[in-house]
Amino acid sequence: MVDAVLLVLREVLEAALIVSLLLALTYKLQLHYRWSIIALVCGFLGSIFLAYYTSAIADAADGRGQELLNVVLYLVVVVCVLWVGFLITSVFVSCIKNKKNNERLIATEKNNPYLLIMLCSVIVSFSLAREGSEIWIYFSSFTIQSQSFYSALIGAAIGIGIGMSLGGITYYLLIFMKEKYFTPGFLVVVTLLSGGLSLQIAKQFMQIGLLDSDGPIWDSSFLVNEKSWVGELLYALFGYDAQPNSVQAYFYLAATLPMLINFLWHWRSLRETSNAKKN
Amino acid sequence: MNCMFKLAIITSFVFCSLANADIPIFTVEIRDHLFYPSLIKIPADTKIKLIVINTDSSPEEFESYELNREKVIMGGAKATIFIGPLAPGDYPFFGEFNPKTAQGLIRVEQ
Repeated sequence: MVDAVLLVLREVLEAALIVSLLLALTYKLQLHYRWSIIALVCGFLGSIFLAYYTSAIADAADGRGQELLNVVLYLVVVVCVLWVGFLITSVFVSCIKNKKNNERLIATEKNNPYLLIMLCSVIVSFSLAREGSEIWIYFSSFTIQSQSFYSALIGAAIGIGIGMSLGGITYYLLIFMKEKYFTPGFLVVVTLLSGGLSLQIAKQFMQIGLLDSDGPIWDSSFLVNEKSWVGELLYALFGYDAQPNSVQAYFYLAATLPMLINFLWHWRSLRETSNAKKN
Repeated sequence: MNCMFKLAIITSFVFCSLANADIPIFTVEIRDHLFYPSLIKIPADTKIKLIVINTDSSPEEFESYELNREKVIMGGAKATIFIGPLAPGDYPFFGEFNPKTAQGLIRVEQ
């Protein structure tokens, strides 16, 4: 049962944190939460689809199908996460320039709130499909109505409960945050999240031999061990790796650099506006 | 554009296959939720191809934090995982679906 708790918790945690982050965002922007229900249903169905066709996917592309599909899924999520980051950055900066509240701006600006909802839906459904499929595969190894199956089922329920609880705590922590702290914090998390997901893309390419992995650049396991609870939490949210190699570092930079450039560009724009007003 | 994309994919696979043609191959078997052999010795600073054969009827997930590798292998199937080049040392791996029994070690030696 403990094995089932840990396995399911690891898979659920990442999806739960992403869902809570995006739900908090849409709450702050006063957008309806309906999108999350549709996204969760799509993710659930997607996970069953991926689990059902696992063998065929794994055998595709000369045995590289699973990794290549993971690359596509991660890449789509990274692009959507960055897009959300760009949208929210421009909304945030616009708020500062016009000194309006964040909540109403996106509904009245030219920025289409439906684009944001669509991006959030894609992020949630793809993440859930990817993580959830492993849970279905795990359960396929049990004989239904056996003692071990029921034990694993209870373990999975506990794991899902813990994961959802952590997601719930994260959600409420975020929605009670003031806007002036929430938005910058959200953008930092989004940047780190996109970096973490890009590490997974690098891992897939190294696993199928398309890229060579070399020695680690550093070893931070003395600070936070990957196998510890904190390490698992950081892995779920930011893709924490105690011993990253140079390939992963390049991918991380490639994913986070667009957001950093975006921040700098907007910061510079704000400074120019501020200087213009003083003059 | 579509043709170019397909050509790029095929070219990368061909290039990858040629580049990986002379890589040492090691095999590990999953049987009764155990790895056979449980200790694999590989040379240092050398990229290797690890073929994992799951002879059980149930799926298993080959995973290693140290190696940064994670792959689900369905029952009766096999998978290829590229590892390294690695510095000398011990790199444990385990079966995530049966972590208590399915444990192994890759020992990298000079």
